[in-house]
Amino acid sequence: MMFLQYISSFLATVGFSILFNIPKKAIVKASFVGAIGWMAFIYSNQYFHSLVAASSIGACIVAIISEIFARIFKETVTVFIIPGIIPLVPGAGMYYTMLAVIEKDFNRFASIGSETIFVAGGIAAAILIISSITRMIFKAKTQLFKKKKH
Amino acid sequence: MRTKKKNILTLALYAGEIMLKNGAETYRVEDTIIRICKAYHIPYVESFVTPTGIFISVDSNDDTETNAFIKRIKTRTIDLNKVSQVNNFSRKLATSYISVEEGMEILRNIDNLPKYSKLLKAISAGIASAFFAVLLGATYNDIICSFFISIFVYIAVSFVENLDSNLFIQNAIGGTITALLAILSINIHLGINIDKIIISSIMILVPGVAITNAVRDYISGDLLSGTARSGEAIIIAVAIAVGVGTVMNFWLYIFGGIL
Repeated sequence: MMFLQYISSFLATVGFSILFNIPKKAIVKASFVGAIGWMAFIYSNQYFHSLVAASSIGACIVAIISEIFARIFKETVTVFIIPGIIPLVPGAGMYYTMLAVIEKDFNRFASIGSETIFVAGGIAAAILIISSITRMIFKAKTQLFKKKKH
Repeated sequence: MRTKKKNILTLALYAGEIMLKNGAETYRVEDTIIRICKAYHIPYVESFVTPTGIFISVDSNDDTETNAFIKRIKTRTIDLNKVSQVNNFSRKLATSYISVEEGMEILRNIDNLPKYSKLLKAISAGIASAFFAVLLGATYNDIICSFFISIFVYIAVSFVENLDSNLFIQNAIGGTITALLAILSINIHLGINIDKIIISSIMILVPGVAITNAVRDYISGDLLSGTARSGEAIIIAVAIAVGVGTVMNFWLYIFGGIL
C-alpha cells in the first residue's frame, strides 16, 4: 500500500515536471523529491492527524532535499521545489470549499476554507523557513571563512 | 563607453525578462540582474522587480548620466528549464569573461529553447492527474476518467491560451470542461466518485505555485510582488471555482441533488 503511494506520487510529479518544462536531467530527481515529500506527509498525517501539520512537514522535507539537490547537481532550487510540492497542494480543500458555497453550507465553508488557507500558508512558510536557514548557514560559512583568512 | 553601458543594461534586462516570464521568484531576478551588471564592472546598480515589470537603473563613475530601463511583463508561464539556464549563465558570467554580444547570443538561444511537445505535455497532464487520483484513493474507473478528462482540459486550455485570452477565462473554461466531462462520465456509468475525478483533474490548473511564490515574496519583504502574485492566485482559484461551480449548480438545480 505504501509502495503504491510512493510510486503514484513519483509518477504524478513526473507529469507535473513535464508540464513545468523542467530540464530533462532533473525530472527523475524532482520526482524523487515529490515522492519523499508525499511519504513524509502521509506518515506525519497518521501521527498528528492534522492536515496543516502534515503538509508543513512534507513541505519542509521537500525544501530540505531540494536545497541539498540544488547544491549537489548545480541546479536552481525552484526546479526541485515547484514540482515537489505539487502533491501537497490543497486542491481537494479548494474543491470542497467551493462545494460548500454551492450548497450554501457556510459553516463548512468557513471550516474547510480556513483549513485550506492554513495548509497553503503552512507549505509556503515551511519552504521559506528552510530557504532562509540555508541562506543564513551559507552566509555564516562565508563570514567565518573570511575571518580565518585575515 | 556609453553605448557599452547601454548594451550591458539590455543584456541584464533581457536575462531578467526571460526569468520573470517563465516563473522565477522576484528576488532571483533582482539578484541575476545585479550579478550580470557587476560582472561587467558596473558599480552602482539598482533593480526593482515585480511580477508585472522590471525596473533597472545603473550608474558608473566614468560619466555623469544615469541610465534607466523599464520592461513591462504581460504574460507569465512556467518554464523552469529557461529559468535554470539563465541562472547558470549568470553564474558562468561571474567566473569567466563573456562579451556582451556573446551573452546576447546565448540568451537568445535560451529564449528559443524548445519546450516539450504539446502531445507529450497533454499526456503528462493526464498521467499527473491519474496518479493524483490514486493518491486520493480513487477507484480504477475514476483514475481512467481523470486521465482522459485532464488530457482534454489541457488541450482545451492551451487552445484558449493561444487566442490571447486572460487568466480568468482560461481557468474558468478549464473548470467548466472538467465539471461537464466529470458529470458525463458519471452518467455513462464510467466514473464513480465525482469529487475525486474533479479534484484530480483540476490539479493541473490549481495555482499552487502562485500561492507558494506569493507567500515567499511576502515574507522576504517584497510586499508588492507578494500582493501581485496572491492576486493572481486568487483570480485563478476563483475562476476554477466559477467554472466548476456554475456547471454543478446547474446540474443540482435541473436534475436534483444527485452528485
